[in-house]
Formats: sequence, C-alpha cells, structure tokens
Amino acid sequence: MDLMHILYGVSFILFGPLIGGIIVGLDRKLTARMQGRVGPPVLQPFYDIGKLFQKERIAVIYSENFWVIAYLIFIVATGMIFFAGGDLLLVIFALTLAHVFLIIGAFSSSSPYAHVGAQRELIQLMAIEPMVILTAVGMYQVTGSFFVIDILAYGGLLIFVLPGVFVGFLYVLTFKLRKSPFDLATSHHAHQELVKGLTTEFAGPTLGIYELAHLYETVMLLGFVYLFFGANPLTGIIAVILVYIIEIFVDNATTRITWQPALISAWIVTIVLGGLNLIGLYLL
Amino acid sequence: MGREIVIPFGPQHPVLPEPIHLDLVLEDEMVKEAIPSIGYIHRGLEKLVEKRDFKNYVYIAERICGICSFIHSVSYCQGIENIMEITIPDRAAYLRVIWSEYSRLHSHLLWLGLFADAMGFENLFMTAWRLREHMLNDMEETTGGRVIQGSCKVGGVRCDISNDKLASMSAGLTAIEPELSEMAGVFLEDETIDMRTRGVGVLSKDSAWDLGAVGPVARGSGIALDARMTGYGAYEHLDFSPVVISGGDCYARCRVRVEELFTSLDLIGQAITMMPDGDIEVPVRGNPSGEFFSRTEQPRGEVVHYIRGNGTKNLLRHRVRTPTTANIPGLVQMLAGCELANVPVIVLSIDPCIGCAER
Amino acid sequence: MTIEKQTTVVIPVDLLLDEVKKMHDAKYRLVQVGCGQFKDQIEINYSFERDLVFSNLRITIDKETQVPSVTDLYHAAFVYENEIHDLFGIGFFGISLDYQGTFIRTKDKHPFYNTINKEDSLRPEEEGS
Repeated sequence: MDLMHILYGVSFILFGPLIGGIIVGLDRKLTARMQGRVGPPVLQPFYDIGKLFQKERIAVIYSENFWVIAYLIFIVATGMIFFAGGDLLLVIFALTLAHVFLIIGAFSSSSPYAHVGAQRELIQLMAIEPMVILTAVGMYQVTGSFFVIDILAYGGLLIFVLPGVFVGFLYVLTFKLRKSPFDLATSHHAHQELVKGLTTEFAGPTLGIYELAHLYETVMLLGFVYLFFGANPLTGIIAVILVYIIEIFVDNATTRITWQPALISAWIVTIVLGGLNLIGLYLL
Repeated sequence: MGREIVIPFGPQHPVLPEPIHLDLVLEDEMVKEAIPSIGYIHRGLEKLVEKRDFKNYVYIAERICGICSFIHSVSYCQGIENIMEITIPDRAAYLRVIWSEYSRLHSHLLWLGLFADAMGFENLFMTAWRLREHMLNDMEETTGGRVIQGSCKVGGVRCDISNDKLASMSAGLTAIEPELSEMAGVFLEDETIDMRTRGVGVLSKDSAWDLGAVGPVARGSGIALDARMTGYGAYEHLDFSPVVISGGDCYARCRVRVEELFTSLDLIGQAITMMPDGDIEVPVRGNPSGEFFSRTEQPRGEVVHYIRGNGTKNLLRHRVRTPTTANIPGLVQMLAGCELANVPVIVLSIDPCIGCAER
Repeated sequence: MTIEKQTTVVIPVDLLLDEVKKMHDAKYRLVQVGCGQFKDQIEINYSFERDLVFSNLRITIDKETQVPSVTDLYHAAFVYENEIHDLFGIGFFGISLDYQGTFIRTKDKHPFYNTINKEDSLRPEEEGS
C-alpha cells in the first residue's frame, strides 16, 4: 500500500459524507418525481444533519450515545480500509462489528419499538452476511487476492465472471440501503408499525451521527458495486448510477415485506446465485 | 426467546390516522392479545341535539366524521323526513345519491392510499391520493366544500347541480376510470401486496355475522350486507348489487373496496342519466314527533341514526351507531395471533374512523 | 321513496336474555344497543336485523336497575354496554370484557345522564329564534 492509497483512505473521511449526501439528496428528488411530487432540494440531507447537530443532546439512557459513536467510528474505519485498497475480509468484519454496536445501542434504550427493531436488524445481519462474504470469496477466486488494490488491478471486468454473485449482492444491497421491500428494522420514513424501529430512541446529535454513518456506509457499499466494474472507471461509474436507480425503482414499486420471506429469500438467492456462480468458477 | 413485550400501539402512532389505543401483548413478533380502548376524542355531539334546532343540527350531524360526512347528514335528514312523513323531490334524492357516491369514492381512495402506506408502498399511496383530488374537486365545485359539504337539509338539498355540470362530471369520471383501473390492478395483482394481505387477519363468515361486522368487513367475509339494498333514497330506482368477496382476509377487504370504486362510478353514471327535473326541496313545517332508526350505507359500513322527537324543535335523543363501533369486536378477533408487522395492515383493513366511533 | 318497516317490542328486563336468545337462535344480527333517557326513565333498545328486516327489543328501566349483559350471546355487545355504562351510568352484570368505566374516558362521570333539564335548554341569545 503506497502513500497514494493511504491518501485515498484519508480523503474518504471528508468526501464520503459529501458524495453520500448528494447521492441521498438525488435519491429523494428522484423518488419524489416518481411519486409525482416536487421533492426536497438536493442538499436537503446536509440541512437535516446540520440541524440535528444543533439540537440539545437528550437521551433517556446515555450509553446509547457511546454505541452510536462507536458505530460511526467503525463505519469510517471500514470505509478507510476499503478506499485505501485494504483487505476485503477485514472490511466485511469491521462492517459487521459496526452494526453490532448499532444494535447494542438500540437495545440499551428502553423503548419496545427499538427493541423489536434491533431484533429485526440482527435477523437482517443473518440474512445478508453470507452473501457479502461470498462476494469477497468470489472476487478472491477470480483475482487471487482479497485486497481491493489487487482486485482493481485485475484486467477484466469481474461482472462477466461473477454475474450470479453480482445479482446476489444487489439483492442484499437493498437491506443495507434500508429500502423497500427490506426496510424492516428502520426505514427512511416513520410510517411503519415500529415508528422508526431501530433508531426510535435516537434524537438530536445522536441521530445526526447515525445519519452521517449511513452516508458513509452508502458510499462504501456503492464502492463494492464499483469493484465489479473496476477495470474501466467510466463503466464503473455508470454501473453504480444504474444500480442506484434500480434500487430506487424497486423501493417505489414494492411494499415492505415481513422478516420471514426476507430472510428466506436472501438465503435462497445467496445459495442459488452466489453458490452456483462459485461452483461454476471452480469447475471451469 | 419467548419473552413477552407489551407494545403500546397508539393513540399517537404514525401509522394510525386517528386515536385508538391498542395494548399489544407480544411474544417475539407474535401478537397474543390486543386490548382496544377509545375515548380520546369523545365530543358528546349526540347531546347537542337537545340544545339545537333540529334543522340546524344537520350541520352537527355532518361533522360527526370528517370523511364520510355527507352520508351522516343524509341519514339524519332521512330520519327526520320519515318521522315527519315528508317526501323529498326526486331530484333531491338523486342528488343525494350522487354526493353520497362521490363521498364513497373519495373515502375509499383515501383508505387505499393509507393502506398502501401502512405496507410501506409510498408510491401507491401518492397515486391513490392524487386520484382522490379529482373527486374532491368535483365536490368542491358542486357544493363549495371538499370534505364537509353542507348541501343536505331536511326536506331536500341546499343546492342544485346544473345539467351541464352533471354532463361534465360524468365525462370527467369516464376519463379518470382508466387511471382507477390501472391503480386497481396494482392493488389486486402486485406480488408484494399479495404477500402482505393474503391470509392475514382472517375473519370467517360466521364470526363476522356473530360479531356484527358491517360494510366492507362483512362483505369481505362473504356476507351480502349493504344498507343500500334496503333501497333508501333513490337507490331503489338504481341497478345495484353489493360487492361480496369470500375470503375474509385483508386482501378480500381491500378487493371489496377496490371493486366498490367502480360500483360507485356506475351508480353515479346511472343517477346522472336518470336525473329527473324539478324542485330540490320541499318546505318543512312543524316539528318531528316520533322515533325512527335511519339506516344508510357509509363507505365504512352501515350507520344507524336513532332519532326521537316529542313535537318540539329540540329532539329528545339522537344516537348514532357508526360502522367503526360495529367493527371493533371483529378487529380484536383478527388481531389475536397475528404478527406485529401485520398489525397496521389489519387495523387499517377495517378502515377505522375513531372520530365517528366516539362522536 | 320507501320507508323501512321497523318493529319495536317492549319487554320487561327479566325477559331480556330469553328474548335475545330467541333472536340469536333465529340467526339475527345484532345491529346496535342504544340508550336514551326520557324524563326519569332509561330506555335501552336492542336492534336486530335479518334479511333486511329490522326489529327492536326495548327495555324501560330506572337508573338503579342492573341489566343482564347479552355478551354471552353476542360478544360484540361489549362495546355498546361499556359505552352505555360510561355515558349513562347504567350497571350491567356479566359483561365478557368489562372495562370498569374506562372505555370512554370523560371528564365528568356519566355525562349523558340527567343533564337534560338541569340547565336551561337554550342559551339566552337563542331563545327568541
């Protein structure tokens, strides 16, 4: 890892939320247009987070602040490792750890909504982890390395050899982006049976930190998508945009489903698409 | 696992349009028991009848509900007219049908939107409410009010709709019908909606009858129960048959409402074609003496207005049994044993209107 | 315009359960239970319907009378009976789901009972109309 890549990693601290905020802003605008509304300004996510940080820090149980800050730190660390070209496995495990902190944060509050939301988040982790790990394994099988640097240096487009893994990854990306039909644990709008689910008890700056971490996470996950097209930067960026538009479209064309079908379908997709793809690679 | 959590559901909850409180006893995500309680918005409107002139009380009767308002005033006026043996002009009866069915259209579209929203389908929610605007605009143009019309009075109606306007309303509804069909298709055929509604909150035909369910809840359980079948007002001249779907789950109740949109369009069409010319009101003299149970069909089901007068201008008693009250026992039964994620869908599937239920 | 035919049968309180049972056995649907105060008398109407035929059972009681609950026959009546109890203060015994006066929370207890003639029925400015 040279200085250049370490610089990339450090610049993620600054550019992560900037790019993430613009992506989420455009997302909200496009969603609104799909629903026949005008929608908020593109910069709305920044206004929102800015306002959250101006609010008084109020919590029933203060330890949740600690857990949410830990969540942010680990998400940022994960993103830095990723953009510095580090080990994919490390990225995945650090990401899981970050989510565990978030879940503990939700459990530490006394709200029943947050508790049920946290239970659902645990189930979601179970649903998506296998596919995320398979993604890393698939990339290793093709390129012979778990390092993002080496995967990017691989000559061909990974999408051609890993189509099943790619589709499977898109499937679990919907969980991670908290979009319908898999916005079970918490969603971007409060109209669900759990009010705001996981994040019900977070308020003011704590919620701001959570939102900020979500922006970092969005950018990093889209980075994963980019890896599949890494050989050609232009194709990569176009692919990332297309993938995000597809996610918005799916978000707008489905209801929120219950946790059983979400878990089962995620595993079926993992086994069928991810598994078959890897077996195919192994045999060829 | 197996720990019991009590989730307080409402009275202030984002998914609930109105304040009902349910204590949900959960075991993991399974609802073991649901205990309803109301009383957050009791206004004692029924009591006001003793202090207001019975003709003026129409406006209070109409304000019992903010959505099915017009049909409340129709029921009340019809009760008074039956006690006083007033025959209202035919044109007034037909106009009441038109406004009643417009109310039903806008109420059902409102409900469909809320239902989609409860399942997390924001786009469909926006679509339903956009189509609802058409109905509200027609109401506003003909009566001056979007949700509270105030156009019904004892002895007829307060304002007429010109025949030109009737023709353009008819044309407008024909034009919007394809859009309604397209939306109906999504509600009835979308995979994910199917997953959330089919087999959820089942109420069998027998228990629906025993628990006194009315309206779309009863019709979704396969009971042909619709107060319009009694032929009140001008309904006796119109070709009408109730939408009855067996199944008893949320999907069936959703389907009843979706299909009733088209029944209502058809009824409005018939009423416009058959609209007789003539007066729209008759003079009312004297005061009501006697009693009557006036039954009409609201979007949410059968409503009963009990009216009793003693020959003075203040009535003795006015009691309203609203459809939501009749559907609460059914709701409690549907909720037992369901999943937490399905609670909003089931609660909304009876189309609760607590403002009505408490008056 | 047709006016619906409605029958009302006045029965004594002790026959209430028997009569309601007859209706239940004949597969009538309970439409509503409604209450009204007329002078010192309380009237409770039990409305039933089957095949578009609407009929009522009526009991006339005073405030102290305890009324047997019909919830064993028609479970749905718990809504109406709790409501009547909370608004008029009529006691029902044997309700399957008894809220003990917390179904409708009102500031004053039993707000619908005995308030008719207590105050002038019209406010001064309305008297002339």
